[in-house]
Amino acid sequence: MSLSTDRAPQAFIFKGGMLPMTVMELVSGDPEQIRAQLASKLSQSPAFFQHTPVVLSVEKLDEPHLALERICAVCRGHKLLPVAVRGGGDPVRQSAWALGLGWFPPQESRGRTLESVPPVAEPVAEAASAIEPEPEAEPVHASKVFRGTVRSGQQISASDGDLVIIGAVNAGAEILAAGSVHIYGALRGRALAGIHGDRNASIYCKELHAELLSVAGTYKRLDDIDNRLLGASVEVVLEHDQLCIARLN
Amino acid sequence: MAKIIVVTSGKGGVGKTTSAAAIATGLALRGNKTVVIDFDVGLRNLDLIMGCERRVVYDLVNVIQGEANLKQALIRDKRIDNLHILPASQTRDKDALTQEGVEKILIALREDFDYVICDSPAGIERGAQLAMYFADEAVVVTNPEVSSVRDSDRIIGLLSSKTRRAEIGESPVVEHLLITRYHPARVTGGDMLNLTDIQEILSIPLIGLIPESDAVLRASNQGVPVTHDQKSDAGQAYVDCVSRLLGEEVPLRFHEIEKRSLLARMFGGGRK
Repeated sequence: MSLSTDRAPQAFIFKGGMLPMTVMELVSGDPEQIRAQLASKLSQSPAFFQHTPVVLSVEKLDEPHLALERICAVCRGHKLLPVAVRGGGDPVRQSAWALGLGWFPPQESRGRTLESVPPVAEPVAEAASAIEPEPEAEPVHASKVFRGTVRSGQQISASDGDLVIIGAVNAGAEILAAGSVHIYGALRGRALAGIHGDRNASIYCKELHAELLSVAGTYKRLDDIDNRLLGASVEVVLEHDQLCIARLN
Repeated sequence: MAKIIVVTSGKGGVGKTTSAAAIATGLALRGNKTVVIDFDVGLRNLDLIMGCERRVVYDLVNVIQGEANLKQALIRDKRIDNLHILPASQTRDKDALTQEGVEKILIALREDFDYVICDSPAGIERGAQLAMYFADEAVVVTNPEVSSVRDSDRIIGLLSSKTRRAEIGESPVVEHLLITRYHPARVTGGDMLNLTDIQEILSIPLIGLIPESDAVLRASNQGVPVTHDQKSDAGQAYVDCVSRLLGEEVPLRFHEIEKRSLLARMFGGGRK
């Protein structure tokens, strides 16, 4: 539900969102070389190539006139769906737009983390390491740590990153975080993760008795929680718009 | 320099005034010069429990507003010479208390006494916050019942944020848990929270456990603090609690179902 001042029915709502996105960092601009590598990858892990949206990053390339159209065709032929291009000069941007793709400016600061990824890795690990937030995503913030019991009426929040509680969260207390919430103790109060809409945030606690669990606005009350999970060490994640509570063992 | 101890709970009716009177009496019986202050302006009760209601002339609010001096308002206990009572006003409300006024009184009392016991009103508003504000130690009174435990939890949170020690960053208020109206048989039957559960939730050290006892009601109505009734279990439990406040190690009593002899059961000798 959204609050709106004008009463006219809305056709859509703009929302900020951070989706996991695979970035394909091009080291070569040669379509044939890309085709050969994609073919060998496809045979190793076919599950990865399911019309997966990818962002083509050309930041590491020094080719002002890229054969973007042919590269895109090669990708589509291997069930990868280019949705945008990142980096490159003005000609690259113009041809991306001409092909109906988005264009992101190059990102300077985060190049380091990509370089630290070993060039040869297991296919699965490589796929995972390629997944990173959208370029506009906020930089990672430090976790906030609270030691002691969070008592009824108290509210502890981490508006930027994760929140770690070393102690119990008692009934009537509330803890909130933009990222994930970790409780090394009993959770008897309310825990809200992903308060700015991060759907990948989760809640971890040593002993579940929570009054309320919420991830990115989707919540469960104590009444909705399976009795058999009460008192257990659990992790709470958002899956298909539903909170899933799983034992940590 | 006196130690200032607040007796507080959040929830009403759990035994704050009874405990404040009993602890003050116990400390005085052990030779400490003690004063107990009623902060429950508008709902004065401590004078009744201490049995000095007929001798109240001036009260806490009179002293704060300069209508009487401290000496005139302090009532000497008729049983113990080194125990004094500072009653609350029954005709004013809690807004009559000011932080400066309370501070002035506590500074003056600190010079003359060993212990200043502040009997807090219920709730978390002005009266309760002023009662705890200058405290060095706190006795949090809790019944073995969920709402009482939750309210105590709230109060413990306030002790660590809304007191002078918290605000100026001195060593925190020393917190003690006092469980009252404990009924071992009902705990075993599952009607009441047990000692371990309460301690786990509140996670502050236990200073005493007072069993549910007829002696408490009798003591209140007679205006004699239950500590004087050394035949009763509650009276003995308060003596234990005072010993622990004074730093002594005393084993816990009255937390398990009493094993009664066959004869006692036949003739129905109840708890005293």
